[in-house]
Amino acid sequence: MIHFSQVTKRYPGGHEALSGVNLTVEQGELLFLTGHSGAGKSTLLKLIAAIERPTSGSLTVSGQNISRLSSGAVPYLRRNIGLVFQDHKLLFDRSAIDNVVLPLDIAGLDRRESLKRARAVIDKVGLLNREKANPISLSGGEQQRLCIARALVGRPALLLADEPTGNLDAGYAADIMSMFRDFHRVGTTMLIATHDDRAISALGGRILRLDHGKVEEAAA
Amino acid sequence: MIAWLRHQKHALTSSLRRLGRQPVATLLTALAMGVAISLPSGLYLVLGNLGKLAGDMPAQPEISVFLDFNVTDVQQQTIAARMKQPDIAHARHVPKDEALAALSQAQDLSDITAGLTQNPLPDAWVVRPEDTSRDALTRMSDELKQLPGVSETHLDSQWADRLQAALIIGHTGVWLLAGLFAIALLAISGNAIRAQVLSRRDEILVSRLIGATNRYIRRPFLYLGALQGLLGGLAAGSILAIAGWMLRAPVENLAGLYGSTFQLMPPTFMEIALVLGLTTLFGWLGAWISVTRTLRQVEAVR
Repeated sequence: MIHFSQVTKRYPGGHEALSGVNLTVEQGELLFLTGHSGAGKSTLLKLIAAIERPTSGSLTVSGQNISRLSSGAVPYLRRNIGLVFQDHKLLFDRSAIDNVVLPLDIAGLDRRESLKRARAVIDKVGLLNREKANPISLSGGEQQRLCIARALVGRPALLLADEPTGNLDAGYAADIMSMFRDFHRVGTTMLIATHDDRAISALGGRILRLDHGKVEEAAA
Repeated sequence: MIAWLRHQKHALTSSLRRLGRQPVATLLTALAMGVAISLPSGLYLVLGNLGKLAGDMPAQPEISVFLDFNVTDVQQQTIAARMKQPDIAHARHVPKDEALAALSQAQDLSDITAGLTQNPLPDAWVVRPEDTSRDALTRMSDELKQLPGVSETHLDSQWADRLQAALIIGHTGVWLLAGLFAIALLAISGNAIRAQVLSRRDEILVSRLIGATNRYIRRPFLYLGALQGLLGGLAAGSILAIAGWMLRAPVENLAGLYGSTFQLMPPTFMEIALVLGLTTLFGWLGAWISVTRTLRQVEAVR
């Protein structure tokens, strides 16, 4: 599903975030990205979602060559990818359910159908009684669950999560990780960047360790 | 196709809601646009009314031919024969008695005319040539003056020519003003939309990350610009309606003093529709320019 071949990403200014990365992720796989901060975990995820473009090498996602993807095609690539951010990136000018509905609005779905699907996924992350609340009134863990609901409402084949539990205490973090396990079981391919070792051992799955932009080891 | 319609509807309703949520800002922008638009369209209406006023008077250029007091019958006949030539569209003989009667009646000068021992007015012809171009008129006026028995000719078209020339300048002025204020409209709309784009920066960036196309992001702002333009047009209409309402009584009073039944002419439905259409278009255009520019800025600082 995802194939990196000798991918290098150099930012303007010369900092090389990734150097010569080779990586293949199969459909339905669960992959953890670990490593110190600045090792290139975020950059790797950003390349997959075409938020950044590789400087050299080739990267294909769902059969599409990211290096040569036209900017007009990027939105359609992203509609098949759910993104979970460490800082949630929720919109505070609207209710929780309106945040979750946004990807479906963008895809042009019927409003009533959208609300139904949004409510179902909000129920799954356990926030049904807070759907009318403004996200700013939610706790950090609740905001992260809302962000996950927004990432999953479009039923993406691929979920990318960048430090999803980075700001949360252990109880919330375990909560979030078990939620990911449930979604992985229904067949979603997942890449989770984290340095939460407990979470990794709880969920199992492949681990990719990055060190200064290089793949250091891959353990099963 | 259905998704496209849904997007349009969604963008329109969200733009309407956004305008409603900021009534003061919306009103101020509409007023700024309204003032800008009311100037050229107001001038246009004034010129239209002047044109109508001019149109109420004989628009056809005419030559008045005054005869000598001691004109002979033979000369009279020669002149009458000349008036039947094909280069003259219409000629009317005004005998001096008839002229005097008309004068005393029209201007209420019967006291004065009654005191006259003899008629001071000459016999006259009012001539309307076939060719009414300025040159042809002057030529015919000169030619008729040469006829024996004619003392003087007078070209009646001069005041009409002058008014016409003034109106043409006025119309040029309208287009000039309209052009200038169209630019002002673009600037006002663009500025309002720029503020909107900047205030919705987060929403734009997040929408991008979850698969929004350029058009999806741009659309609500374009609707916003078009709606602002429409409101501006309506504001201009209100300003002109109030001005017209305030001017009506004094204008009719003045016209009455001149013995005219002249009334202010309101704009036609087509003219109103045209102004509203144009302001909507320019609001949209200003929004388009502004959104394109501002989005590039917003997305550059990611």
